[in-house]
Amino acid sequence: MTLAQFSLGGLVLLPLLAAAVMIVLPHLWRRILGVVFGVLTAGLTVPVIAQVSASNLPELVLGGFEAPLGIHLRGDGLAAVFLGVTALVGLVLTGYAAVVTKAEGSYFSGSSWQPGNPGFWPLWLGCWSGLNAVYLSGDLFNLYVGLELVGLTAVALVALGGRSSWEAALRYLFIAVLGSLLFLAGVGLLVSVTGTLDIEQTREALEQLDDQAAPLLALVLITLGLGMKIALLPMHRWLVPAHSAAPSAVSPILSGLVIKAALVVLLRTWLWAVPLVQGSQWLAWLLGALGAAAVLVGSVLALRQTRLKPLVAYSTVAQIGYWFLAFPLLPTDNNDDALAAGAFHAVVSLAAGHAIAKAGLFAAAGLLKDRCGTDEIDALRGAGVHQPALILAMGMCAVGLIGLPISLGFTGKWQLTTAAVAAGHWWLVVVIAAGTLLTAGYLLRGIAPLLLAPAEQPEDAPAAGPVTQRIRLGEAAVILLGLATIGTGLLGAWLADLLEVGAWW
Amino acid sequence: MISPIDITLGLAVLAVAGLSLIPRSRLVFTMGFLALGIVITMVWLRLDSLDVALAEAAIGTGLLSALMVWLAIRSPEPPGAGGMQSSPRLPWLRPVIGAIAGSGLTMVMAAVWLRVDQQLPAWRQSVDQQLPDTGVEHPITGVLLAFRAYDTLLESAILMLTAAAVLALCRGGGLSTPGTHRLGVHQTSSPMPPVPSALPWAARLLAPALVLLGLWLLFAGSADSGGAFQSGAVLAAAFILLRTSQVSLGTATEHWLRPVLVGGVVIFILAGLLGPVLGLPWLSWEPGWAFVVVLIVEVLLTAGIAAGLYTLFLTLENPEGVR
Repeated sequence: MTLAQFSLGGLVLLPLLAAAVMIVLPHLWRRILGVVFGVLTAGLTVPVIAQVSASNLPELVLGGFEAPLGIHLRGDGLAAVFLGVTALVGLVLTGYAAVVTKAEGSYFSGSSWQPGNPGFWPLWLGCWSGLNAVYLSGDLFNLYVGLELVGLTAVALVALGGRSSWEAALRYLFIAVLGSLLFLAGVGLLVSVTGTLDIEQTREALEQLDDQAAPLLALVLITLGLGMKIALLPMHRWLVPAHSAAPSAVSPILSGLVIKAALVVLLRTWLWAVPLVQGSQWLAWLLGALGAAAVLVGSVLALRQTRLKPLVAYSTVAQIGYWFLAFPLLPTDNNDDALAAGAFHAVVSLAAGHAIAKAGLFAAAGLLKDRCGTDEIDALRGAGVHQPALILAMGMCAVGLIGLPISLGFTGKWQLTTAAVAAGHWWLVVVIAAGTLLTAGYLLRGIAPLLLAPAEQPEDAPAAGPVTQRIRLGEAAVILLGLATIGTGLLGAWLADLLEVGAWW
Repeated sequence: MISPIDITLGLAVLAVAGLSLIPRSRLVFTMGFLALGIVITMVWLRLDSLDVALAEAAIGTGLLSALMVWLAIRSPEPPGAGGMQSSPRLPWLRPVIGAIAGSGLTMVMAAVWLRVDQQLPAWRQSVDQQLPDTGVEHPITGVLLAFRAYDTLLESAILMLTAAAVLALCRGGGLSTPGTHRLGVHQTSSPMPPVPSALPWAARLLAPALVLLGLWLLFAGSADSGGAFQSGAVLAAAFILLRTSQVSLGTATEHWLRPVLVGGVVIFILAGLLGPVLGLPWLSWEPGWAFVVVLIVEVLLTAGIAAGLYTLFLTLENPEGVR
């Protein structure tokens, strides 16, 4: 067994082991173990990415039982990209949560709510393990189990935000479970016609199938379920309260990473497991139309927010739309591989860029909210005067979200525009341009007041705390994510090479 | 083909499900749910799925009902007295849309389902071939703990993390004072509602029988139906019964709940690590000692599942107090 194969299993099982052990430890030890295993998990992604970068496809047959009986883990290009992004964002956020006590959420002491919930650590490491499980899985049922692990820990992490977050967490739980069940129903339908759960074997069996009704229905069910979990408009209503009520270290995890897990499953289903279903063209167009609506409506709603965290959450709703804009360009009956590959690269670049930039922006918003006691944009006027580096970092994240060069957001939008022009879909270009302008508008509206002179504060306004050493360290996390937003923009070509490994074409 | 029993059972499921949605009282709703669970268990038995029937009876009906009964006694009226208010202007709109969407969905699903040329699972043959290597005899246990052990591991981790989540929402985040590792579930010290005097007596009488049943389900699982999940649910039921009848479990809970909760998952992962240590893939066990590993893992998983389910019951109380 090679190191890369060991890493495939270790990426899932070592953080899970840490999560289990932490449950019996006191708070301080949970933090230490969290940082140690965070570094270890991020380190394990290196051999996998190195193998993929050398055009190999590491594959692990768990227990030595070949499919269809057993489960395969496959580290292909798609998995490698998201493993890398998750390692980067996850490691930075682990450090952020370890130094900023309030970022871990709060607990009820019997008389009042106190900052720093010790339950954050096992849940976060469990969530990281689930994310890696989803990226690597080569088995449809195992994808469901991984999604459940991610969804359940994500819901619990939201609930750590105190009394006000429970309602949002409960709503998120219902959506997450309903989405998973729809996915499972689709998988059940696929198994009944193919007799296998392995993704590669499912594809082979479906290619020999004459009647495409069952795969089409399965695709509809899976897309609907995952659309809920990704929060594609009009199924986005749960996202804003959940992502904005969550603790400061959790919002970046949710917006940056958790919804990407559902996106990876959707791409796996559309491109690897159930491709080329006749009659699925309308579904791709529907997703494209919903994506366009999400870009426009989400951006306008973000412009209308008066609080910083909901603004950033609505920005996520809008950015989700870009990923779906590419779906009409993915192959459903015409086998134009270059076009499809371009659209696929665009989705992955946009999603990866969004993961880093949005994690940074949410971490910054949480830092401001925790220090000032509110995230009303009016009350935050001038808050950036004491934290200029934080505002600079937020600006770098904004570059990624708007899609200015150099960032993965720019790479993704460029690829998407090129693919749209090549396919002759000019309306996509219009949506992308309008979305870009709106993004610049709402981010300016959120960030610019932080630099303005403070307005007259009402007497009862909560007093902003001083900028402590720990908050400075928290700022460093945001700065790292801001720099990564710009730095990853240089990796566009390497990303395309990675995605060639184990691609469906 | 279709016997009258099947039709009766199918109609019974629909009728009980409908009836249990109508009442406004949580207690009546809970009773409806209990009845639904029993009917669905019978459906699984008719389908010859003894394992699923056992799981449905133990977890779906048994434990979930215990949680719901607790809720119904604690706060009998749902918040907002009913919750689902019909829209004032068009009261018929919601039911009509629901009925149209529901019947449309049913028809599409049925049409596709009837057209589909169903395939038998492709793994049937290989299960029979490779079962001797796994150390167990029952194919379902073989799938759960050998062929797809990875899924089972992640599922057990989900239950463990659910328990960790509800503990995190307790006072003090589940720790008795900041800085310690001692379990602090404030609910253990709050009194349970009074119960009829016959219940403690019956609970003490029933508990040994339940423990015996749980252990039988566990050990029979290697050769027959049953296994860690069903057994864990029965054991958790025994604990819930003892707690409801005010038998003091406080000290044992404080010391043992979390080690038992995580023990199964920790040992499962460490056992999975044996493979890479010996140069095999993750979660591989040599046929010679596979049985021992599977047995240890299954016993600890059962204990962990029982502890996890009991934790869910233990932490039902709102940390801020009853409102």
